[in-house]
Amino acid sequence: MENIFSCILGHMKTKEIDPIQFLLADARHLQILFLSAFLYYGIRYIGWEADWQKFITIFSTSLFSQLLFCKIFNKDYSALKSALITSLGLCLLLKANHVYTYAFASFVAIASKFIFQIQKKHFYNPANIGIVAAIVLTGDAWISPGQWGSTAILIFLVGSLGVAVVTKVEKFDTTLGFMLVFFGLEFYRNVVYKGWPFDFFLHQISNGSILLFSFFMITDPVSTPNSKLGRLIWAACIAVLAFYLANFQFVNAAPVWALFFLSPLTILFDKLFKENRFNWRSKNPLQPISNTLPTI
Amino acid sequence: MYRFKNAPKLLLAIALLMANERAYAFCGFYVAKADAKLFNKSSQVIITRNGERQVITMSNDFDGDAKDFAMVVPVPVVLKKEDIKVVDQSIFDKLDAYSGPRLVEYHDQNPCDMRRYMAESMMLKSSSRVMDDIAPSQGLENYKVKIEASYTIGEYDILILSAEESGGLKSWLLANGYKIPDKAEEVLDPYIKSNLKFFVVKVNLGEQKKAGLNKLRPIQIAFNSPKFMLPIRLGMANSDGSAQDLIIYAFTQKGRVETTNYKTLKIPTDANIPEFLKPKFGQFYKDLFEVTYKKDRQATYLEYAWNLNSNNYTHCDPCAGNPPKFNEFKEAGVEWVTAYQNQEQYSSRISDYDGEVFFTRLHVRYDRQNFPQDLIFQETPNQDQFQGRYIMQHAIKEKITCESAKEYYGQVNARRKKELMTLNTLTGWDVSLYGSYQNEFANYASGSKTEVKTNSVKPKKSTKKSVKTVKNKSDLTSWGIGLLLFILSISLFISRRRIRE
Repeated sequence: MENIFSCILGHMKTKEIDPIQFLLADARHLQILFLSAFLYYGIRYIGWEADWQKFITIFSTSLFSQLLFCKIFNKDYSALKSALITSLGLCLLLKANHVYTYAFASFVAIASKFIFQIQKKHFYNPANIGIVAAIVLTGDAWISPGQWGSTAILIFLVGSLGVAVVTKVEKFDTTLGFMLVFFGLEFYRNVVYKGWPFDFFLHQISNGSILLFSFFMITDPVSTPNSKLGRLIWAACIAVLAFYLANFQFVNAAPVWALFFLSPLTILFDKLFKENRFNWRSKNPLQPISNTLPTI
Repeated sequence: MYRFKNAPKLLLAIALLMANERAYAFCGFYVAKADAKLFNKSSQVIITRNGERQVITMSNDFDGDAKDFAMVVPVPVVLKKEDIKVVDQSIFDKLDAYSGPRLVEYHDQNPCDMRRYMAESMMLKSSSRVMDDIAPSQGLENYKVKIEASYTIGEYDILILSAEESGGLKSWLLANGYKIPDKAEEVLDPYIKSNLKFFVVKVNLGEQKKAGLNKLRPIQIAFNSPKFMLPIRLGMANSDGSAQDLIIYAFTQKGRVETTNYKTLKIPTDANIPEFLKPKFGQFYKDLFEVTYKKDRQATYLEYAWNLNSNNYTHCDPCAGNPPKFNEFKEAGVEWVTAYQNQEQYSSRISDYDGEVFFTRLHVRYDRQNFPQDLIFQETPNQDQFQGRYIMQHAIKEKITCESAKEYYGQVNARRKKELMTLNTLTGWDVSLYGSYQNEFANYASGSKTEVKTNSVKPKKSTKKSVKTVKNKSDLTSWGIGLLLFILSISLFISRRRIRE
């Protein structure tokens, strides 16, 4: 392990790259780090099964699909980092009986970026569509919303790390919009209207799955609307639909489904609220993508 | 599960905040008629789920006077008479015996003569009893309580109530001799607002006497509901604050059942435990559960999961009790299985039924502090089988003296040390009290001069199996991590190089 690190660090030094600068240069680096930390936490401390077959299948399928599509459609190989994030997302959320299902989900996730796009902008969150496709089309997959449990430490961990990532990508508004509306509705319905004690609500909002969704899935800067107002309305719509699905249709993991159904609205919102597109490596989000240069 | 019943409707959902709420499925627990007697510390429930159809069978360890028994269960609809049944307690005993944590015994092969004994299995009996009660009905108008239906079924008088507000319901229950603890009111209100009905049960002493029953039998209710859940909050209101145990036997078609608002964790399994635990196995498991529970009090624990599909030829391995048969499925409310028709082939078949059945056993220890919400379940396609299995490896009783004996006793000593450490980790027992167990063969292993026999046989390394598995797993882990890191670094490297270009 030490050797690997010293090798990487050595490589960086010879190329005169500061590791901190490298980490901060692209929000995805942090995201990869945090999601890996969550996975480690789940396996080491919550007692999730370390299913290496699953992890290897997901990572290899995602990365190879990404390489393949990059070769065919464009030459932006930095998207491999996004594929890593998608893979980590799938490792954290998706469960299945067979490795084929994982391979299928990973492939759909990556392929969706190239298929469902308008004006070179994809509008489905890759991990989200991968999960939905696997559940609906294979019948072999599921999500376990309860797998994180509800503990205060987790709020802190997921929350603060999540904040770091989203503020870095300057899309904290999506998280905020979603959480305020979703938790507001849940609070009104369960505590104010029905009269459940407050800890009922606390248990609900401290669920690790919902926090992970709010901070890491809904915030994907590429597939969300470009303008701030558009993002806020879009996030609120997802929150309302998720609330409805959870409380009136008794759908588990409702936010994941809500995001899937409402992702296409991104196109509409981009038409309504004009704004330049987000670029991962641009320090200024308003800068057009074609003019950006790598910061590292 | 995640399937939408009305997909098009859902797409229009944004504006549907005001939509009517559908009633839920609910089963709640016991409220006493008299004061302290009925505090039920452990109950058992069978839940079957097929689409929206749900059958719930409830059993409880109530052992007070039958006239003191009362039960209030929130239900989603006004149940019809044919939706309510009284079933025999034996179904719970059978399922418990079949799915309980099991002790498996193996006997060492004599390294000197190759004799070999095979294992027998034993299961842990967990206690389970019946519930009991009585039934009243008195003036309603003032309480804003309505009796929707009233039946006498078996030895039970059953009322189905609807209420407008919790205060009225509480007053009515108190006026009719039901003891409702103060904390219950905080639960009644949300249940009423969720449009639930209250299924109120007492024992009809006359009927009970007529039937010659000593114990109260489990009640089974059936209804349709989109929500797959079990209300435990009313039961908590009944409790004196300490945690209560609930065993859930769930039958579904596709796969494992898990909770969506609490973690579902597995109990520790496949552990090698000391030989002296045989008569104490019950206590051992009880303490094991206690220690496991204390590590995470906000979780449900998986004790058993098995595919009982009629085409699956292994319905348990090893079997702690007989796997359920067609009649028992019917009794438990597994309505979708059919009797196997082709009787000629029956002898070659393990099951006397046709159908997809997956069995999950969950153990929940709940209290007010750690379980603020009712249990919400989902049926997953997860087909992984699981059992609580504890292995006991018996050393050879008679003294052996061949060349391999020394080595054999050395191995016994080493493994007994490990067994004691395992015991300590799993149950927290003070294993220093069992020094004699570990050292039983110490002399033979180190100091004794054993006769040399040329034809000696190496001892069977049966205990090595689990060790080997663990080793493989850790190998796999390091390989996995290595490979992941490799892919990670390669991809980062490539992406950076491309950027530079």
